[in-house]
Amino acid sequence: MTVVSAFLVPGSPLPYLRQDNPPWQPLAAGYEKVRDALQASKPDALLIYSTQWFAVLDQLWQARPHLTGEHVDENWYEYGDLTIDLRSDTDLVDACIAGCADIGIRAKGVNYDHFPVDTGTIVANNFVNPGGKIPLVIAANNLYHGPGETEKLAAMAVEQADKQGKRLAVLAIGGLSAAYFDEEIDIADDRIRHDADDAANRQLLDALANGDRRSASEALGRFNEGTKADMGMKHLSWLFGATGDFKGARVHAYGPTYGAGAAVVEFNL
Amino acid sequence: MSQGKIVGGFVAPHPPHLVYGENPPQNEARSEGGWEPLRWAYERARKSLEEMKPDVLLVHSPHWQTLVGHHFLGVPHLEGKSVDPIFSNLFRYKFSLDVDVELAEACCQEAAAMGLTTKMMRNPKFRVDYGTITTLHMIRPQWDIPIVGISANNSPYYLSVDEGVEQMDTLGVATRKAIEKSGKRAVLLASNTFSHWHFHEEPDVPEDMSREHPQSYEGYKWDMKMIELMRQGNLKEVMRLFPEWVEEAFAEVKSGAFPWMLSAMGYPEIPAELHGYGTVIGTGNAVMEWNLEKAEARDAAVA
Repeated sequence: MTVVSAFLVPGSPLPYLRQDNPPWQPLAAGYEKVRDALQASKPDALLIYSTQWFAVLDQLWQARPHLTGEHVDENWYEYGDLTIDLRSDTDLVDACIAGCADIGIRAKGVNYDHFPVDTGTIVANNFVNPGGKIPLVIAANNLYHGPGETEKLAAMAVEQADKQGKRLAVLAIGGLSAAYFDEEIDIADDRIRHDADDAANRQLLDALANGDRRSASEALGRFNEGTKADMGMKHLSWLFGATGDFKGARVHAYGPTYGAGAAVVEFNL
Repeated sequence: MSQGKIVGGFVAPHPPHLVYGENPPQNEARSEGGWEPLRWAYERARKSLEEMKPDVLLVHSPHWQTLVGHHFLGVPHLEGKSVDPIFSNLFRYKFSLDVDVELAEACCQEAAAMGLTTKMMRNPKFRVDYGTITTLHMIRPQWDIPIVGISANNSPYYLSVDEGVEQMDTLGVATRKAIEKSGKRAVLLASNTFSHWHFHEEPDVPEDMSREHPQSYEGYKWDMKMIELMRQGNLKEVMRLFPEWVEEAFAEVKSGAFPWMLSAMGYPEIPAELHGYGTVIGTGNAVMEWNLEKAEARDAAVA
């Protein structure tokens, strides 16, 4: 089996930077469970898709062997800085770039120091892969790709890992409902902004927890129709494309990130 | 202290391709040129800016997008290497800039007093967005004038275009009040393209101009119609058509810089000067100037 574990995790830096804030504590604790499960699955590489790394021309892949530095989020800069320590599986990245041609998608790698890695990728890596020990394969979110292309890209990446005989963990980084508080709030009182979003988030999580890919895809369609979702939930499309199928999931945490919905979910493969 | 004033404003788009095409020493990527008509348009704008003798440049950029309110750079000096996350092959630029924190704080306070949510950005490690840097480099490559950097609040996308424009209108009035109280001569920079329909694949040689043209004829026609209205000084009609322009040309002016600048200048009914228009990966880009001081002098001479 190439894909040995798969997770949905939030990309907001708030639960990482302020783990002491009660509404965000469950998400941070959920992330710790993912870290343990991920490490227990002994992957050779971590396949990452974050809704926050945008591309508009071609499909981009992070090709820098080792990225270090500090990152300041453009919105939440007052909560602190994020340390970057990422290593790429460059052999697998190169294979993914080449593999894109086979599925009709133009692609290229980015290999530059000071590259502005997105907040979601940094937060997730710091939570579950401290020290950057597991090498990464990071794909950008091309804004013009729909769920279908996103699934194809993920499946192609798994195929390339399979050819290299590698065990792969999948991280889908993004939120649920995207409606946030657009004025200052007391962060200790953070909650899901709209009750309807809260209900929709819980329905989707229930479908993931108790379903398979087919039923979850149907639930995702309903979710996207009725909710302003984070990037149309393309990060879940990525996970579905990579895993092919799954048998339910464990929801380790669910909560708000400044009004938006977020969850930490481990899929049963 | 004499009253400060806005001496002029520019539409100053930020495709990093323009910096790449110019090959300044600050940018690591090297090119064979490209996008010359737009770069020459900026050369003309640079001359006008020089004559304006501003004390400060205020730039509003769509690539510092903030969710909770309108933010202002609040650190006196910022420097670093800015790598564009989308066009990292073209733009890896070493920047060093001085911020007029006093004026930024004044704008922030005025806007808050008018009911907007505002915040000062005080983190010295903050990475200035490439839109701000590109616009500033293209208009003033000497980097010798302090700046005020303003974020693009997400309201036009999160709420509606009308609600977004309303907020930018308020922000513009607040900006003007702060400038008037400061005693400074200020120039405003609206960092945005017009029609934003673009190609989805990059040529092997990005500066191969045989591949450059408007991606959308509809977008091009919208841009020409709006530029002509601006050249006629008919900003009432520009703002009446604004929502349609945004919708049909996918115009980046939606992000707020353009209505902010027009509001700050008081929607001047004077002809704007078009320094040049060109496309970058198919998007429509105009370098345009409203010279308020010159118009004032003309009016005084006539009177």
